Amino acid sequence: MYGWIWRRLPGNAWVRAVISLVLILAVVYVLFQYVFPWAEPLLPFGDVTVDGASAGAGAGREEGAAR
Amino acid sequence: MPVRLVIRTFSELCITVGAVIVLFVVYVLYWTGVKAADASDGEIHRLQDQWSRGRIELPAPGATASAAPPDATQEPQKSQAPQATRGAPTAPTTRSAPAASAGTEPARRPARSTAPAARPPAYRDGKPFAVMYVPRFGRAWDWPVLEGTGVNTLKKGLGHYPGTAALGGRGNFAVAGHRRTYGDPFKDVPLLRPGDAVVLTDGASWFTYRVDRRAYRTVPTDIGVIDPVPEKSGFRVPGRYLTLTTCEPEWGSSHRLIVWARLEATRPVTDGKPPALRS
Repeated sequence: MYGWIWRRLPGNAWVRAVISLVLILAVVYVLFQYVFPWAEPLLPFGDVTVDGASAGAGAGREEGAAR
Repeated sequence: MPVRLVIRTFSELCITVGAVIVLFVVYVLYWTGVKAADASDGEIHRLQDQWSRGRIELPAPGATASAAPPDATQEPQKSQAPQATRGAPTAPTTRSAPAASAGTEPARRPARSTAPAARPPAYRDGKPFAVMYVPRFGRAWDWPVLEGTGVNTLKKGLGHYPGTAALGGRGNFAVAGHRRTYGDPFKDVPLLRPGDAVVLTDGASWFTYRVDRRAYRTVPTDIGVIDPVPEKSGFRVPGRYLTLTTCEPEWGSSHRLIVWARLEATRPVTDGKPPALRS
């Protein structure tokens, strides 16, 4: 897979290395900016409220539930 | 040859997935903290900016509307007269007004019982309205309190349960916060001891709550802990209470940790910081 990408890149080895670095940084950026923020709430670290549901559902259900 | 290609591709995929997982751990452990520190600092600065300009979004409980003209913020001298009518938290002046101690002795007043009943003021969802300080968590520990307990709100600070009492108001002022990730605001909740101070300010008043007992462990469905008089807290009569909720265990979600406190003192910001923050 990576070999295939490497062969597709233009230029000599140095140019390919630079392009690879840029590609890696772009992937990391997309992960940190879009993918991880989406995935993080799926983990339980954000469940800090008492409402019997995840934190996200808290606000709406609260009033009816809180007695 | 194809076998070799398949194995190589599979290996590369495994390595890629491993790298992504490591990156995700870095994100959860480190990057959320960076983002939360940034966001909460921004919220606090916005609040202080707002307060220093004298525009305040909510009246403190019992505050008189005619406390001080909005333009008096930069001149503490002008607010001398309103201060003479002690008891009314005057309008938001600078945090440490030099002339504050002139007319009022820095007495710890118990919460006034004549204040209007707790009707949650118009806190706007997702917007900050107060700053919390907990000396037990360290001198540098300060977090904004925002309205609502949504996922995105809790990324920026602590969240006030909608429908619970207003800050300093009669009833139960309930606040949720992350135990881990996003700056770990409530990481040290189990360290709270009876008598520890939880201090909040809304720009007009300082509210000093005192922790009543050590953290109580319960299940996520136990919504009674944020009742106006939480049944299991040991409080029996209606009062001005504070509830902190966070998750337990630290990285899990099977339980919740609850800390209850009761309002001990209220003082206008013009009287300076409360004793709990001065030690």
